[in-house]
Amino acid sequence: MKFSKYLIDKYIEILFVLFGYILILMMLFAFKVPSEVTIGITIVFLIVCFSVLLTGYLKRRRFYNYLIHSVEKLDKKYLVLEMLNKPSFYDGEILYEVLYEINKSMNENIKKYEMRLADFKEYVELWIHEIKLPIASLTLMNHNQKNKVNKKYEEQIRRIDDYVDQILYFVRSENAEKDYLIKEVDLKKIINTVAMRNKDDLLTKNIRFLVEVEDVMVLTDSKWCGFIINQIVSNSIKYTRDDVDRFIKLTVEESLKQIHLHIYDNGIGIPSKDIRRVFDKTFTGENGRNRSKSTGMGLYIVKKLCEKLGHKIRVESVQNEYTDVIISFSKNDFYKIKD
Amino acid sequence: MKTIMIVEDEKTIRDELKELLETSGYKVIVLSQFDNLLEDVLNSKFDLLLLDINLPNINGEFLLREFRKVSNLPVIMVTSRVKETDEVLSMSYGADDYITKPYNPTILLLRIANIFKRMENNRNSSYYDGIKVYQNKGILEKKDQVLDLTKNEMIIFSLLLRNRGNIVTRDALMTELWNNEEYVNENALTVNISRLRAKLEEFGIHNAIETRKGQGYKLL
Repeated sequence: MKFSKYLIDKYIEILFVLFGYILILMMLFAFKVPSEVTIGITIVFLIVCFSVLLTGYLKRRRFYNYLIHSVEKLDKKYLVLEMLNKPSFYDGEILYEVLYEINKSMNENIKKYEMRLADFKEYVELWIHEIKLPIASLTLMNHNQKNKVNKKYEEQIRRIDDYVDQILYFVRSENAEKDYLIKEVDLKKIINTVAMRNKDDLLTKNIRFLVEVEDVMVLTDSKWCGFIINQIVSNSIKYTRDDVDRFIKLTVEESLKQIHLHIYDNGIGIPSKDIRRVFDKTFTGENGRNRSKSTGMGLYIVKKLCEKLGHKIRVESVQNEYTDVIISFSKNDFYKIKD
Repeated sequence: MKTIMIVEDEKTIRDELKELLETSGYKVIVLSQFDNLLEDVLNSKFDLLLLDINLPNINGEFLLREFRKVSNLPVIMVTSRVKETDEVLSMSYGADDYITKPYNPTILLLRIANIFKRMENNRNSSYYDGIKVYQNKGILEKKDQVLDLTKNEMIIFSLLLRNRGNIVTRDALMTELWNNEEYVNENALTVNISRLRAKLEEFGIHNAIETRKGQGYKLL
C-alpha cells in the first residue's frame, strides 16, 4: 500500500479541507488578524490534517499489507480469512464481514459437491458390486455348458470385468478418501493373479510370460497393485509385434531404498514423441489410434494409483524394439505391518 | 464324497455353483432361506463352507466369526467386494481362503481341492498303485527305486493322480501349472507330458497316461 496512492484516493476529502482552509484564511484576512496568528493557525491546521490522514493510512496499511502478504504466501488462497484479525476501522470491518460470508457460502457449496461426489462414488462402488454378480453368473454358466467350454465367451466376459475394474479404480484414485491398505505383500503372488487373469490371452497370442521374481516382499495394497500390473501387462499383450518371438518379462532390481519391478516386453514400443505423455488423461497417442480403440485412461489411472500408494512409475521405450515399465516400491520401514 | 455347503443369496450363482461342484464330484447343500442362517449352518453336516460376504440381514464376516467359535471346518469366503480390508478382515476371522467374484471356476475348484488335500494329508505323499508319490520332494518311490520328476512333471502327475480314471483337460493342466507359477505355453505342456511318459515308461509304468484326442489326458 502506497501513501501517494492513498492520498490520491482521498482527493475529495483533501479538496474539502483545502476549501475550508481557504475560507478560514479569507475570514482571517477579513478580520485583519496578525500574520503570526495566521501562520500559527496554518501550522496547527496542517499538522492536524496530516495526522488524520496518516493515522487512517497506517491503520489500513497494516491490515491490507498483511492481507496481500498472506494471500501471496498461501498455497490455498481461500483460507486467508483464517490468518486475519478483525480490523479496527469501519470499512475494513465491512470487508472482513463480507469475506467471512463469501467464505462460508463457498464452503457450503464445496461441501455440497463433495457430498454429491461421495454419493456418486458410493453408488459406483455399489453398482460395481452388483454388476460383478451377473458377470460371475455368466462365467459359471459358460463353464457349466454341456458342450465344450467356449474360450471366446470367457474372453469377452473377462474384458467386461477388466473394464468394470477400470471404473472402480478410477473412482478410487480420484477420491481423497484413503481406501487402501499398505502391508507387506509377496510380489510373486500378485504377479500370479495377473498371470492367471491373462493366461488365455498370453497362450492364444503365443506370448511367453517370463517371471524372474523370487520371494520379494513389497509394501503395497495387493488389490491395487494387482490392478496396476494387470493394466501394464494387458497393454503389453495388446501392442505386440508379429515378427519376433514375443515375450513379457518381469524382473526385480533392488537398490538401497527401493525395489524396482521391471515389466519388459518386446512389443511395438512407444514413439519418442508420445512417451512423455503416456500417463496423461485420455492420451491415446499413435499406438492407441492405429491399433484398437483406446480410452487413454488405463495408464492415467495407473499413475494416480501409484501416486497414492507412494510408488514411482516410469516408462522406457524404443519404437519397434521394446517397452519397459518400471514400478519402484519404497522400502520404508515405517509402513511395515505384519498380518 | 466330500460335501460342500453354499451360502449365497444370488440365485443364478448359487445354481451354477451347485452344478459346477456336482459335476466335479462333490455333494452340495444349498441354503435358500437366510432367516436362521447361523443355526442352519451349524446344524448341517458338510466338509467345507463357501460363504458369501454380502448376505441379506447378516454379514458373512460376522457369521464366519460366530461359526469359528464352534467349528474348525474350512471356510472359503466369496465376495464381489474388491477391497484389501475385507480380505484381511476375513482372514483374521479365520477364513481358509478368500476369492473375489467373478472367479475363474477352474481356480475355485483347484482351491477347494487344495484345502481338502491339505486337510487329508499333511505328509504330502500319496500312492499310485504300489508307488509312493512325494509331491514336495518331487519323487516317486518304488521299493528301493527312485524316480526324479521336475516341478512341472510333478504338477502334471499329481493333478492326473488326483483325478485318476477321469479325463483331465489340457486347460485344467495348464491352469494348475500357471497357478503354481509355471508359466508354460502349449508346446512346453506337450513336451512335459511326453517327457513324463518316457520317464514313467523307464520306471516300469507302461502306458499310464492315455491321450483322449480333443479332450485331454487320463491316468489309468
